[in-house]
Amino acid sequence: MSAPRPAVSTDQIPVRRDVLDPIFRYVAFSAATLLLAVLGGLIVALLIGGWPALAKFGPSFFFSTTWDPVREVFGAAGPIVGTVVSSALALAMALPIALGIAIFLTQFCPRVIAQPIAIMTELLAGIPSIVYGMWGLFVFAPWFAKHIQTPLSGLGGLFAGVPNGANIFTASVILAVMILPYMAAVFRELFRSIPPQVREAAFGMGATPFEAVTRVLIPYVQKGLVGAVMLGFGRALGETMAVTFIIGNSHNFPTSLFSSSSTLASTIANEFGEASGMHSSALIALGLVLFLITFAVLALARWLLSSQRY
Amino acid sequence: MIDMTTTDIQSVIVPPPADSLVLEVKKLNFFYGTHQALDGVDLPVKRHAITALIGPSGCGKSTLLRIMNRIYDLYPGQRADGQILLDGEDILGPKVDVTALRARVGMVFQKPTPFPMSIYDNVAFGVRLHASKTSAEMDEIVEESLRRAALWDEVKDKLHKSGLGLSGGQQQRLCVARGIAVNPEILLLDEPASALDPISTAKLEDTLEELKRDYTIVIVTHNLQQAARLSDYTGFMFLGKMIEFGPTADLFVTPKVAKTGEYIGGRFG
Repeated sequence: MSAPRPAVSTDQIPVRRDVLDPIFRYVAFSAATLLLAVLGGLIVALLIGGWPALAKFGPSFFFSTTWDPVREVFGAAGPIVGTVVSSALALAMALPIALGIAIFLTQFCPRVIAQPIAIMTELLAGIPSIVYGMWGLFVFAPWFAKHIQTPLSGLGGLFAGVPNGANIFTASVILAVMILPYMAAVFRELFRSIPPQVREAAFGMGATPFEAVTRVLIPYVQKGLVGAVMLGFGRALGETMAVTFIIGNSHNFPTSLFSSSSTLASTIANEFGEASGMHSSALIALGLVLFLITFAVLALARWLLSSQRY
Repeated sequence: MIDMTTTDIQSVIVPPPADSLVLEVKKLNFFYGTHQALDGVDLPVKRHAITALIGPSGCGKSTLLRIMNRIYDLYPGQRADGQILLDGEDILGPKVDVTALRARVGMVFQKPTPFPMSIYDNVAFGVRLHASKTSAEMDEIVEESLRRAALWDEVKDKLHKSGLGLSGGQQQRLCVARGIAVNPEILLLDEPASALDPISTAKLEDTLEELKRDYTIVIVTHNLQQAARLSDYTGFMFLGKMIEFGPTADLFVTPKVAKTGEYIGGRFG
């Protein structure tokens, strides 16, 4: 006796499958739509909340350096520049070190040591940002003020500022420490994804380790590197607590590396509790600006990725 | 029953004339950590000829190839003892400059490994590492290498497009062009056709046939017909030993070791 053949006509398919499949599709579709709805709602809320400030101050909201809650005059140039500069500096510091860590771990480090170092790097990424902030305020900033800022303050120019260690530069260092493990971990995964034959081919041509890394391995993963850098930059832009601790929270337009300053996120965090009326509308508008900058960074990353030649 | 040991096999080596050798492997042992992969291997390589290495998977033929340009150096825990004489100089010695060695002994891998750069830059890559050339000289080297690899006509209009955009067969010939651009004495090929379709394979074989006039070629292959068609000398390896080595025609028609005959006849492998 042979077993009955499976049915092909739809009316013989058990009912459950017939019902479950559309439900499954509907659930997946709703999950995706929900995300879009949240995003849309967020933008609308920021626009509505920030509109009074944007309408009152117009373009000068973005270009004016006066942020005066008492007279209710709000210009966001200080926090905007503080945000972009502190994040860019942090990236400039973290990028070469993260590359170095990833290259060392994947190319030159004996496997027995590579694993523990990699785990420690990941642990560093898991430390809450407020811990970094406290360390920055109580340990790093005083040390920096005494040993670096004070000796350099006589030079003026880029190094001018109150030598208390609470400034854009120290905030950038803390930010760099925070995004470093994240970037190093992503970079390491990228280098690990390179097929061993490509590495062997580079060395097989008679390349030195430096030549193999700079001319073949880094170009091989450059798309991923750009993506990881932009995500790291995005993280630095939005980081709030650690920066609020150490950047000095001054609304003055930063004029040197050692000026105390503020970022969009730190200003919001500091002032929201006491804000009302026009002040709170201005803070919401800051949120909108931060959102737009982050969006622009991600768009830039997309564009860079799609315009790669190789 | 097929005998899976080699202890009772007396290996037979019929070397080319001594004055025609460019490279000589002598009593070579190789270890992956504690595992011994090669056991007292001898291999004489004739200048301007194609030497094929055949044998079942895991017999050590790729391992042998990877020692000849010391690519195994990249992996801690792998070590070789014995001698490999390149023009009389032992390349396993501690004072050898491996980057210079690899310029003299080039390698093409099983899977095509074009670098993420233009076709032109792929070919120029090795030349730039070892010599400084004017752009006119470089243009000439690139064209000559691509012609020799039988790829010029297919890529001459897109030299500055990515090497990654070529088909598998073209990529492999690009790797051959990249390998010969530095003008090596020896070109090692590790199953270069195993990822290619029959037409690409035929083109690659024609290329190698052409190249042997100026280069010494050592090729590892799983394809016995390819070894028989292409090579002047063949070495048959089994369980880390060189079982038989001699002129290809002799080895395929009248093998001197029973094991070789069994393998060639398809009785195992």
